[in-house]
Amino acid sequence: MTAEATEPDFDVIVVGAGPAGSVTAYLLAQQGHSVVLIERGEAPGAKNLSGGVLYGRVLDEVFPGFAEEAPVERRITRHVTTFLTGDSSVSVDYAGRPLAEPVNAVTVLRAKFDAWLAERAEEAGVFLMPGVRVDELLREEGPAGPQVVGVRAGDDELRARVVVAADGVNSFLARSAGLRSKPPEHHLAVGVKAVISLPRTVIEDRFAVTGDEGAAHAIVGDCTLGIGGGGFLYTNTDSLSVGVVLRLDDLLKHGRTAAEVFDHYLAHPVLAPYLRGGEMVEYGSHLVAEGGLEMLGSVVTGGMVVVGEAAGLTINSGLTVRGMDLAIGSAVAAARGIGEAIAADDVTATGLSAYRRHLDDSFVVKDLRTYERAPSFLERDRMYGAYGELAAGIFHDVFAMDGTPRKHLVTVAREAFKRSPLRLRDVISDGWAGVRAL
Amino acid sequence: MKIVVAYKWAPNPQDAVVATTGEVDLSRAKPAVSEYDPVAFELARRLADATGGEVVGLTVGGPSIDTPLSRKAALSRGLDRLVVVADAELEDADGTRIATVLAAAVRAIGDVDLVLAGDSSIDVAQGQVPLTLAGVLGWLGLAAVSAVTAADGGLVVERSLPGGTTVVAVPTPAVLAATADAVVPRVAGMKDILGAAKKPVEVLDLAALDVPAPGATLATLATAKPAGGERTATIFDGSSPAGAAAQLVGALRQAGAL
Ligand SMILES: Cc1cc2nc3c(=O)[nH]c(=O)nc-3n(C[C@H](O)[C@H](O)[C@H](O)COP(=O)(O)OP(=O)(O)OC[C@H]3O[C@@H](n4cnc5c(N)ncnc54)[C@H](O)[C@@H]3O)c2cc1C
Repeated sequence: MTAEATEPDFDVIVVGAGPAGSVTAYLLAQQGHSVVLIERGEAPGAKNLSGGVLYGRVLDEVFPGFAEEAPVERRITRHVTTFLTGDSSVSVDYAGRPLAEPVNAVTVLRAKFDAWLAERAEEAGVFLMPGVRVDELLREEGPAGPQVVGVRAGDDELRARVVVAADGVNSFLARSAGLRSKPPEHHLAVGVKAVISLPRTVIEDRFAVTGDEGAAHAIVGDCTLGIGGGGFLYTNTDSLSVGVVLRLDDLLKHGRTAAEVFDHYLAHPVLAPYLRGGEMVEYGSHLVAEGGLEMLGSVVTGGMVVVGEAAGLTINSGLTVRGMDLAIGSAVAAARGIGEAIAADDVTATGLSAYRRHLDDSFVVKDLRTYERAPSFLERDRMYGAYGELAAGIFHDVFAMDGTPRKHLVTVAREAFKRSPLRLRDVISDGWAGVRAL
Repeated sequence: MKIVVAYKWAPNPQDAVVATTGEVDLSRAKPAVSEYDPVAFELARRLADATGGEVVGLTVGGPSIDTPLSRKAALSRGLDRLVVVADAELEDADGTRIATVLAAAVRAIGDVDLVLAGDSSIDVAQGQVPLTLAGVLGWLGLAAVSAVTAADGGLVVERSLPGGTTVVAVPTPAVLAATADAVVPRVAGMKDILGAAKKPVEVLDLAALDVPAPGATLATLATAKPAGGERTATIFDGSSPAGAAAQLVGALRQAGAL
């Protein structure tokens, strides 16, 4: 091999222009490194399923005041959690101005938001390369063992000192570097999501919000036909993001398709009024890694680091799906770690392990620890059927004026509980697991 | 031979939203090189390689057509350099106006032997820009071009017309509009995109070009979907695939489609 061929084309190659990739690329370019950001979509965001709630704290550190400039849809000031049965629902509604200042959560549409992030990276000097799918890692034997030295796409090869795998949940790069095996099915969920357009005034009336305020609904119970998972309904400026996240193993066990469950969800009497008259403008389905800390594999190897969902960084607490903020948090840690490794002229696994240390110190791993038990907690089937029935039963007896004498609430609860298939032992166990997990 | 490829930075049809009424909404679509224009890039590159010439990309439109992304998207597809006229005044310009600006830019580039373009743009799809351009330049203009090669002192051009194909000898300078399937355009690789960033881009100032003042502007009075497209909605019994295939062939014969 000639000297010219082994000369790196860039300091860093980032694969995938989602939140993780664009922020890593941006921060590395700011440090003065030459960075190429490769994205298989014709434009950043083109391939990414739209809609979601972004917990904005970490992005605000990267781009102070981003909510003023970035294409965010609404600031979430209202969180509603609903337990559904076939014909009733019990909700907890938390609305608070304090959630808006400083910005806690905003809704974003990925086609716009990802494009905005990638533009910031490009402005900082990143070479953006859309329309290119990376096919393979280039690996060579180095003095410290196997080292990733670049990528191949089609007939072309590009070389860099460090490759960043930011290629999302199916991370082909992390798997081909041997950092992860195919995850077991119960650590995977499938998300089905649609964007439904409605006039902004209709949204504001139906969700009781004004101006740029918005609402986020999390829904568990009958909406998923008893399959482990939950539903969400988020307000954008003039559309709604609505979807379900279903545990893959449970979906297979029930012999249902995700599309069937999604249709059932949209038609549910509790949901349908919010969507009435809207037009579906987008529909898609995507895998979600929902294994929390258990899914976080090894994130560093010689010449390469893994960030965002490619590293398994998602939290599905049953009430919220978080991935974008963790992706951005990992990007901040990776950019620091890579910068230090390049400065120390050691991009082997040892040098790059600075990233893992920064990640461990960040809110990302701390939050994963906090929610460590959520995945197995959410694997308890009762979460998706019997609890909704129980809650609905209690409230039914409280509010139904059927001529029978009123009973004390405790009695009502006890009777509803007796009718329910739930056993006290289960409830205590779930309650305890829930407290510890969430 | 100096070849100019006139192309449009237009909405990507992959992002089109088709409403239940059948209306196509491109307002949310991300821009890209207009669907059929890469065919013209490819024809131009092959012709230039065969004759030892140069390929100059040319695009005109509103300010949003000139971004790092749009420059690379065009320059990675076989162009040697790029000329851009981006001006707010051209934001919603009609085909005639675009053609007059293109003509002025072609004159400014100078010594051009051939202008190649796609048949029609993906969003407006009226197919009139290339031939209006030819008219403004006072050059020969031909649409429906499916192949072009160099010959002594000119070009040999194959045209796909409803009645069949014809092959004609074309003197230069000329304007040719290529059919969408004339050649399969290349897919830009990483090296092409890296190389694109190093190629020269010249931005021409609209005010400095010799363009006649815009003429009449169009007012759209009504629009309607194309008629026809009546579906018979026949469903064949698929229990036996061979049987279903036979029924389908029978039905297509009866309809005169086969
Ligand atoms: C239904 C659903 C709902 C969700 N809701 C939320 C929510 O409300 N809030 C939240 O924070 N998170 C949510 N998430 C999770 C969130 O979408 C992800 O965690 C987040 O997108 C991860 O970002 P990323 O940058 O790591 O990966 P991605 O956003 O997946 O980006 C990866 C990029 O890499 C590109 N790519 C992949 N392979 C290649 C290749 N070989 N070559 C080139 N490019 C490649 C892809 O095109 C893509 O652009 C949800 C997920 C789903 C499925």
